[in-house]
Amino acid sequence: MSKMIAIAASNVRRMLRERSNIFFVFIFPIALILLIGAQFGGDFAPGVGVFQADDDPLAVAITDEIQSEDSLAVSIFESSDELTASVERGTVQAGVIIPPGASGQAEAGTQVVVEFLARPDGAGPQLQSIVSAAVARVMTPVAAAQFGAEKTDSPFDQALTVARSQTAVAPGLDVVTTAVGDSLFPSTLGRFDLGAAQQLVLFTFLTALAGSAALILSRKLGLSRRMLSTPTSIGTIVSGEGAGRWAVAMLQGIYIAVVTYLLFRVDWGDPLGALLILMTFSAVGAGAGMLMGAVFSNDQQAGGIGVVVSLGLAALGGCMVPIELFSPTMTRVAHLTPHAWALDGFAELVRREGTVADILPELGVLTVYAALLLVLAGWRLRRVLTRP
Amino acid sequence: MTTVLAAKGLNKRFDDLVAVDGVSFEIAEGETFGLLGPNGAGKTTSISMVAGLLEPDSGTVHVGGTAIRTSSTDGRAEIGLVPQELAIYPDLTGAENLKFFGRLYDMAGDELERRVGEVLEVIGLSDRKDDLTREYSGGMQRRLNIGIGLLHRPRLLILDEPTVGVDPQSRNSILESVENLSGQGIAVLYTTHYMEEAERLCDRVAIIDEGVIQAEGTRRELVSLVGEKDRIRVTMTGDVEEVARIASELPNVHEASVSDSGVDVLAAEASTLLPELLSRVSAAGANVTGVAVFEPNLEAVFLHLTGKALRD
Repeated sequence: MSKMIAIAASNVRRMLRERSNIFFVFIFPIALILLIGAQFGGDFAPGVGVFQADDDPLAVAITDEIQSEDSLAVSIFESSDELTASVERGTVQAGVIIPPGASGQAEAGTQVVVEFLARPDGAGPQLQSIVSAAVARVMTPVAAAQFGAEKTDSPFDQALTVARSQTAVAPGLDVVTTAVGDSLFPSTLGRFDLGAAQQLVLFTFLTALAGSAALILSRKLGLSRRMLSTPTSIGTIVSGEGAGRWAVAMLQGIYIAVVTYLLFRVDWGDPLGALLILMTFSAVGAGAGMLMGAVFSNDQQAGGIGVVVSLGLAALGGCMVPIELFSPTMTRVAHLTPHAWALDGFAELVRREGTVADILPELGVLTVYAALLLVLAGWRLRRVLTRP
Repeated sequence: MTTVLAAKGLNKRFDDLVAVDGVSFEIAEGETFGLLGPNGAGKTTSISMVAGLLEPDSGTVHVGGTAIRTSSTDGRAEIGLVPQELAIYPDLTGAENLKFFGRLYDMAGDELERRVGEVLEVIGLSDRKDDLTREYSGGMQRRLNIGIGLLHRPRLLILDEPTVGVDPQSRNSILESVENLSGQGIAVLYTTHYMEEAERLCDRVAIIDEGVIQAEGTRRELVSLVGEKDRIRVTMTGDVEEVARIASELPNVHEASVSDSGVDVLAAEASTLLPELLSRVSAAGANVTGVAVFEPNLEAVFLHLTGKALRD
């Protein structure tokens, strides 16, 4: 056992000594998580620009009502041209242009036309419904006042005061929305949570596969044969090399988990569950890395192929685009990769507050992957080391 | 003296290639035994079997009375292997390399620390022990390569061409280190294709070619195989059969035979014979393209036994 640990420890030490790993293992993953979190995560509120042609009271009321919407980030523009250009450039997602003399038009019984601007490819329809509802809340008493003033020959201002007071107390119509099932990305999900899990899975596997180069180098330098000449069994050497790859992968995973928790307060769910996913997934990576190290004889070739395989599996397994956005067919394909199962496990822990019992299926699949790869790699490495 | 290594009837075949054919030798305590032969002669295959890295098709290896097998680690602690390649971790320090292999030899704690310090002194790397070995010179790496083999105080040290690619100064340092080993009672199996190294270091030498030990003995015993005569190799174009016949009739010529590209002549005094020999060759109408004189050393023995030079 102590010999196996010695071999594994030398692998970890060598990984830490490699200068390029300071960037690729320690800096790059965190920078990527930061970037992804900054771009896609967080408390995003779509921007809506408002242009009032004048300070007409009705225009001010409409603007105030739109600004009272918590789900919108409202900004006031000085000209309709500036607002139109901003919508076109995507600086704001939508624009509202309130015409001049809105109160006079309403009082005269003329229809007030509020213009809504949005790009065809954006969130226009959703924003239009929010803006329309806000405008309607302002205009409903105005329409009632117009009707009352016309029918009772009373002054418009008086009718408007009555209409507004009645609107406040009249029973309204409310549409109640009931959520069915779980949200794919609940509002409690932090801006870094999704990206952190994806990058942890991606980089843990990538780092494990990169370890294949070190194994090939050991073979090329004759270190493996030298180890075999000592009173150390081939089984211990193979186990030590496997444990080394596993330890390197674990180090990468734990580093990402701890640093993202400390820096970004990333929620990893049940700690024991997260640790078990990381342990089993690292074992998958260790098996894959050792298999590559046993199959290839050129460390640079293995390094290049390792990166391609890692990124390919990561993309397929949902590390770049969430699996939840995949088509049903691609979702099934994704689950041919261990990455998808690891991400499913993290999703269960983080988004649905699952426990170890809830992720047993994912742990089981990852364990099978790990066992198959480690057995295959061990068999191959044993052959490679003992042949002349 | 106690026999440390006994290799008997080792055979190894790779598909159609017979790499080692019936190799047997013994090495006693404190004895340095050389396996001298060109590249591809079967030296590395032989020591791989001795070190337990390669299972022989037939034959046995015993070190300190323990059978060495690839399927068992028994007896490995008695062996120190210094492979031809630099089998050291470039991204570990010298001391870390020694400690790593020490642990594989079941060493630990104070014993390991003490022994690492001793070996670093012996190989002259104490002041560089904390430097990464990739920053070492080639000679320093070679010395560390040997130091790892010595770390656990083996009874048998196997050195596989340890001076390949080494500068002359480091080479001399390595040879001095090996010379000192026999004084410590270590049995040394030394493979080389450098005749000078075998002559300087080895108490006994086995000349191996094409997987077969052609001859074995002390230097004196081996040189006596060629009758302590000088060998003159004349390369030429022309009637080599006729030249060989003429040469054999000259005084002091022991033997003259046709070789690949000319005639080999065994004679008591090459320097006195050479003018007359060349005169007769020219008179016979042959065109001499080269002359080489081999004094009776292991190179000449090898040539005599195999018909080719050691570095062919």
